Amino acid sequence: MLARKSLNVNAIAKEFDITRQAVSLHVQFLNDCGLIVIKQQGRERYCEAKLEKLNEVTDWVDQYRKYWDNKLDSLESYLAKIQKKKK
Amino acid sequence: MEKYNTFKQEENILIHTRILDAPRDLVWEVWTTPEHIKEWWGPNGFSLTTKSMNVEPGKIWDSIMHGWGQDFDNKIEYVEVKKPSLLSYRHFGESEDYNFTVSILFAEVEEKTLLTMKSIFKSKAIIEELNRRVNAIEGGKQTLNRLENYLKILVNEQGHE
Repeated sequence: MLARKSLNVNAIAKEFDITRQAVSLHVQFLNDCGLIVIKQQGRERYCEAKLEKLNEVTDWVDQYRKYWDNKLDSLESYLAKIQKKKK
Repeated sequence: MEKYNTFKQEENILIHTRILDAPRDLVWEVWTTPEHIKEWWGPNGFSLTTKSMNVEPGKIWDSIMHGWGQDFDNKIEYVEVKKPSLLSYRHFGESEDYNFTVSILFAEVEEKTLLTMKSIFKSKAIIEELNRRVNAIEGGKQTLNRLENYLKILVNEQGHE
C-alpha cells in the first residue's frame, strides 16, 4: 500500500479491518525495523515505505551467507563439544 | 584467527572460509558420517534422519529434514571425495539451471583446520536471478506472512483487553 504513495495512519487504518491503535502499533514496529519512515507534516504523520531496506534482508546471496555462517557456527560448537568429551 | 572467517562472491562462485579448532581428520569425519552430520546440518530447530549415506564419487546422501511439522527431502550427490582434504557434492535445485556444486577444502593450519567452501553456480546470471526472485516472491511472501501473523496477535491482544 505504502509502496505506491505515502499515507498517514488514519488512511492506512481505513484499509484494514482492525482498530487504529493496532495499525499504529504496527506502523511503529515497521518504523523500528527501518522498513518505513514517519514524517511529520503539519498535524499529520505520514508513512513512507523504504523498500530498499526490504531488499537488503531478502537478498538470496545474503540469506545463503547467513545460513552457512550459522551452520558453520553450529559445526564449530559441535566440534568443541565432542573434543571436550574425548579429553 | 578471525581473519580466516570470510565470505565473498566471485562471479558465479560464493566462497565461505572458516577456521575450526579441531584436527582435520575429525572435521572430515563430522562431514561424512550420519551420526555426526545430524548434529549440525540443516536449519536451526530441525532434526535430521539419514536414509543412506555413501561418501563416494557418484554416490548419494539421502536424508530427510524434519521441522515446522513437515518433512523436507535433502539429497546430494558426491562428486569428488579425497579424504581428508576435499569433498564436493552436487546440490539439486528445481531444475538443471539451479543445480550447483559445493566443494569443501580442508587444510591444516597451525594445528587447526581451515575450511574453504565454494558454491559454484551455472552462471553469475543465475545468482542474480535467484536474488531477484527471492526479493519478488519469497521475500515478499515471508514478509506478508509475518505481517499477517503480527496483525493477528495484535487483534487478539486487543480482544482480551
